[in-house]
Amino acid sequence: MAFDLYDLVNKYPPKQMMAVPLVLTLLGIIIIGANFMISGVPINLGIDFAGGTAVTVMSDDTPDQMEAYFAAYPLISIGEGLNRGNYIRFGPMSDEEFRSLSRDISARYPDAKIDQIGESFGQTLQQQALLALLFSFIGMAIIVFIAFRTAIPSIAVVFAALTDILITAAIMDVIGLPLSLGTTAALLMLIGYSVDSDILLTTRILKRQGKLEEKLKNAFRTGFIMTTTTLSAVLALLFVSWIGGIEIIMQIAAVLLIGLLIDLMNTWMFNAGLLKWYVQSGRSAKGVKR
Amino acid sequence: MTKDDTHPLMRDWRILVLIAALILSAASIYLLPPAFDKGIQGNVQLGLDLEGGSWIQLEYKAELVTFETTGSIEELVQGLSEDLDTEVTLIEANVVEIRKHFTQEELEPVFAGYGATITNYEIGVGPETAETVKRILEEKINRLGTRDAKVNTLTTFGGASRYIRIELAGVDMITAQEIVGQQGKFDIRIQTTGNETEHVLYGDAITSVGNPAQHPIGSGNWGVPFTINDEGAQALREAAIRTGATDRPTDHELMMLLDDEIVYSAPLSADLASRLKVEEVRNLVASTGVGENALNRAMILEIHLRAGALPVDVTIAGSGSVSAALGEHFKTMSIIAGIIALLTVGLVVYYRYREPSIVIPMLLINTSEIIILLGIARYFTQLDLAAIAGLIAVLGTSIDQLVVITDEVLHEGKVPSPNVYLKRLARALGIIIVAASTMIIAMLPLAVMDLSSLRGFAIITILGVLIGVVITRPAYGKIIMAILSR
Repeated sequence: MAFDLYDLVNKYPPKQMMAVPLVLTLLGIIIIGANFMISGVPINLGIDFAGGTAVTVMSDDTPDQMEAYFAAYPLISIGEGLNRGNYIRFGPMSDEEFRSLSRDISARYPDAKIDQIGESFGQTLQQQALLALLFSFIGMAIIVFIAFRTAIPSIAVVFAALTDILITAAIMDVIGLPLSLGTTAALLMLIGYSVDSDILLTTRILKRQGKLEEKLKNAFRTGFIMTTTTLSAVLALLFVSWIGGIEIIMQIAAVLLIGLLIDLMNTWMFNAGLLKWYVQSGRSAKGVKR
Repeated sequence: MTKDDTHPLMRDWRILVLIAALILSAASIYLLPPAFDKGIQGNVQLGLDLEGGSWIQLEYKAELVTFETTGSIEELVQGLSEDLDTEVTLIEANVVEIRKHFTQEELEPVFAGYGATITNYEIGVGPETAETVKRILEEKINRLGTRDAKVNTLTTFGGASRYIRIELAGVDMITAQEIVGQQGKFDIRIQTTGNETEHVLYGDAITSVGNPAQHPIGSGNWGVPFTINDEGAQALREAAIRTGATDRPTDHELMMLLDDEIVYSAPLSADLASRLKVEEVRNLVASTGVGENALNRAMILEIHLRAGALPVDVTIAGSGSVSAALGEHFKTMSIIAGIIALLTVGLVVYYRYREPSIVIPMLLINTSEIIILLGIARYFTQLDLAAIAGLIAVLGTSIDQLVVITDEVLHEGKVPSPNVYLKRLARALGIIIVAASTMIIAMLPLAVMDLSSLRGFAIITILGVLIGVVITRPAYGKIIMAILSR
């Protein structure tokens, strides 16, 4: 089955294979740019970075009832999960207001999870998250270059990771997933994951003997199952956290899910296309058959 | 597997390392120290979101300023302290700690006045002050007998301690706020008529505070004994007589206010009233009543009486809490998530290989990896919800890499000779090592940054990847070889 799946893509010439991810990347940049123009940030910030309060409660109350109960506070949204779980977000408020809010919460919803981040702390977290993203990416690029020591395959891997993050970020914008500590962690993890299958592909194509088509097919067979196993673990995570109303895990799982799907496309269309072209054009080292 | 297969396998170092790691991990979770009473988690430290509890993160309203000057440093520090009307301490040759909030723009002209220029400005305090604050907070918390409390200073890249994070297991948000968030002006007032009150003494008149105790002993009536100085005792006596509290004690409550909030209010006891008529009284008891609740109130009141004043003003930068019941729910859900993830992953690899003799070892390796990871991780970090997401992601990655090994070894469907096999295993491990290094590099920034809640996540991911590369993958390679060459 996996064979046929890949033939769907592989029958096209390399340039056409690469076109789809490139177009999506462009689209992603446009979406992120538009988001930046509208709200001043590439991805909408969750309370971790923007400041505010998030409350998870298990309750049979309807959103309307909750809205009425919390009318005195800067309520942003009420998200309903399965299994009575609700995720309520508030904007920034003063210490006084927050104290009174926590009293109100414990009065009506004693079994709640409350998280409150002040605006200035949120900004510090933002800076640190940005630095973390930057360091991760640079570190990943260095390792990839050390591992392959050739420009084009390395650039392909790094580029695939970059587009993974870009497109995932754009999708987050579209479906309204905020950038929080959890989703930042997931994006960082994507850097690691995206390189996984790329390295397998590149090693198989460049360091193994055999026919190119054959190697591509075999690499796909392995790589596809690799990503699928991770995907299935993530899917299980998403499912359980959705039922259990565990917002942070749900966010992490959602971003990983989107990112892994994008990674499948990027690896097997963009990266495979580029490698195919690279080998066919005879630029690779001797001994690698076309 | 027949006995003939098991035997040589059991002598292989890769397998022995795996088994040793498994035993050690199980021991470190349940035996070192013995933890049979702690339930399934054993010695693994759980985060607040799984255990229930509260955290509060405070930000110092102070700054560290690095300066350059040609003039006298002593004069500068002295001058700054007077001009800014706050404590200014030299903590390094050219760094001062200013214990009040000012922006860099506000400080520049003041420094210029002493011929100094600011070269670096950072919000936060120096290590010594941070240590003092930590000690005061710990003292405050310990008095409450909180089962499990952590106070950690969070330091920025520049070396300033900007935040202090307090984690209180099993304490709800309101209590946590009471313990941590309030310090400052302690005021004792006496009721005159109706709702009117009159100031008697401030917190500085309190000279010592005792532990909550029963008064009289064994009565079940809790209270906090405290002592006031002579001026305070004089003020109290005068106020009590002037307001008539000595004659009608029940009409004149004695109130204690912390930052203008009433933390205690009760009439003078008949005993105290009659003593105040004749003399100044320095030893007092603030009684909180009978029962468990009264004891809790007494313990909080004690901290308030101590006023626990921090040397630096702070603001609440962030806080959070999870109720014990919700924590329990999250814990159950996490375990379910882990099991479901393992099963799903198992189904996927079964779909791919259709061979139980490959799939079962994969899942066993995967499970042992999680056990080893937990066994080691307990020394480095606590397990919170984010870390659990990391744990399950590691489970996914781990299977990924077992697939790489299996496919690399099974290349072209032939069972290779041992020589070719080892070559292929080495190549598979090569791919895995590169992939693992990138994952570690990607997570490293999070692990070293004091970025609040993501440290556990990053550390779990890194450890998981490391354990995979060093212990479980090589062992799996050996096991799968034994199975395939059967």
